[in-house]
Amino acid sequence: MQLFFQDLVNGVLAGGILAVAALGFSLVWGILNIINLAHGTFIMLGAYITWQLFTSFHLDPFLSVPIAFAIMYGFGYVLQRGLINQVVRAPILATFLLTFGLSLLLVNLALIVWTGDTRAVSPAYSGANFTVAGVTVPWTKLATLVAALLITALMHVWLVRSKLGRAIRAMAMDVGAAQLAGVRVAHVYAVTFGLGAGLAGAAGALLSLSYSLNPSMGEPFLIKSFVVCVLGGLGSVQGALVGGLVYGIVESFASQLDVTVLGQHLSGSGLQDVIALVVLLVVLVARPTGIMGRAAA
Amino acid sequence: MNRLLRGLGLGGITGSPQAFAVSLGIMALLLALPALHNGYLELTFRNILMFAAMSYGWNLLGGYTGYVSFGNVVFFGIGAYCSAVLSAHHVDSLLADVPVALVCAALFAIVVGVPILRLRGHYFGIATLGIALAAADLANNLDVLGGSGGLALKQVPQEQFSLYYYAMWAVALACMLGTFAIARSKLGYAFVAIRENEDAAQVLGVWPTRYKVTAYALGAMMTAAAGAVYAPANGFVDPSIAFAVDDNVFPIVMSILGGMGTAAGPFIGALLLAGLNEILQSQFVKIHSLFFGAIIVLVVLFLPRGIVYLIGLRGGMRRYLADRAAFRV
Repeated sequence: MQLFFQDLVNGVLAGGILAVAALGFSLVWGILNIINLAHGTFIMLGAYITWQLFTSFHLDPFLSVPIAFAIMYGFGYVLQRGLINQVVRAPILATFLLTFGLSLLLVNLALIVWTGDTRAVSPAYSGANFTVAGVTVPWTKLATLVAALLITALMHVWLVRSKLGRAIRAMAMDVGAAQLAGVRVAHVYAVTFGLGAGLAGAAGALLSLSYSLNPSMGEPFLIKSFVVCVLGGLGSVQGALVGGLVYGIVESFASQLDVTVLGQHLSGSGLQDVIALVVLLVVLVARPTGIMGRAAA
Repeated sequence: MNRLLRGLGLGGITGSPQAFAVSLGIMALLLALPALHNGYLELTFRNILMFAAMSYGWNLLGGYTGYVSFGNVVFFGIGAYCSAVLSAHHVDSLLADVPVALVCAALFAIVVGVPILRLRGHYFGIATLGIALAAADLANNLDVLGGSGGLALKQVPQEQFSLYYYAMWAVALACMLGTFAIARSKLGYAFVAIRENEDAAQVLGVWPTRYKVTAYALGAMMTAAAGAVYAPANGFVDPSIAFAVDDNVFPIVMSILGGMGTAAGPFIGALLLAGLNEILQSQFVKIHSLFFGAIIVLVVLFLPRGIVYLIGLRGGMRRYLADRAAFRV
């Protein structure tokens, strides 16, 4: 029973970061109709920005979160404005491949800049934890969860209240109508992609406290972001949050699996991508209408 | 509609006949390559032929039915591991490897294809990507497949190595002619009907699921055949080789560059890109992936309709810019 609660808590703690990561992915997908295959790479870049600031200037990782957000926002804005806007109306394959190519480019640049060595961000307090009713909670992970919830809430308020947020939501409903009402499409597309990249950067900064860093660390988070989006529903803040927490819990329990099939020993902790795929397929098949049946234009 | 088809580089259902004739001519020349007794050239062109076969495998579903798979490398891996497992059981003949790989890939494609081909657009793409990643994950954890350590295969003696070249040549030719024949048959027209308007096709009596799964399975067989020949030629298979990211995405870029939904496009694309990649790889050993990423970005930005489109373009620069502007916001 104690193990059950420990798994549950671990899942919720992990789910917060997943929610932030998936929120950026979900915005870009829901509003621009782009599957950003470089999203995982943006998360990696956010983590490395944090690592660099921590190593060079001893900056606390939590203080790096807004910096990583800002840098990645600017980067995302320029990328969309300069490159992706050129082919955003092409068949989906174009943006799929374009973001994949960008991801390959950035991962290899990161390999040159930071090498393939595994890095870690470990401030003095990183090992501290407390125990409630036999369940151990690391302080950093709890603080990460709080930060993640804060970011999600801020994002929600901004989308609902601000003028630009309204423009983004208007475009999600009808690009043509939004354009007629005076929304500058190219600019708002770039802002949206920038936000997606910024949220990925923030997620990367938060991740750097609990995961080790290497240039290919982003790929599993890309797949997880996708699963969280499908779980929670597209383009909505609440969806990403609920999906992130649910997925975090599912993964936490699944990683405890230890099965032997036909003499083959399989342990859940080595099969993260398989678990993500199974969850994805189950959701897609169990909900044949709604999210799944929607044909992309 | 006609203009749209031409705009996409699709003169007819098999694409430009001239391009196909040229491709066949190059294939005929390539048959004579081993006579040069140049091991390096043979290896390079065996790779090109392998990518041609994989591009044909992707093109059948992606180009003809419009369903963009982002995980076809899984079939390459199935083919490669079929040969590897057979070799581990002391069966070392391409005549056994290839048929077994074809059957396994087709079965896997049917079992997986039926549920996931109900997904459209992004959902299908990411489901296939998920399958490719999960397959690599699984192969890393299965002892039967050697886990992350991989499996070694028994090869033919060095002086008979051209056997692998001829085998890959035969696979590529079969894919090329197969695509041509399939495109001109009832199947090809059903595929294109699904691409142009799936709902309308269904109303007209084309049963989409059946044809989509057929296209997926046939493409899977082409890709698996390439994998089944590659594994013994390489002498070693592990998850990072069998499910390599490059092998997953290269065929897509090649099909686009050469012309999607044509019978010559995948071969032309493979010839250009695999050749270019070979040069890059020899010049920039460590960072050639960087250039590969840049090539993808450039192809998508400047040649989203392929090179055959560019050759057949009437109206020069103005038309090219106008076509590109259609994709911009």
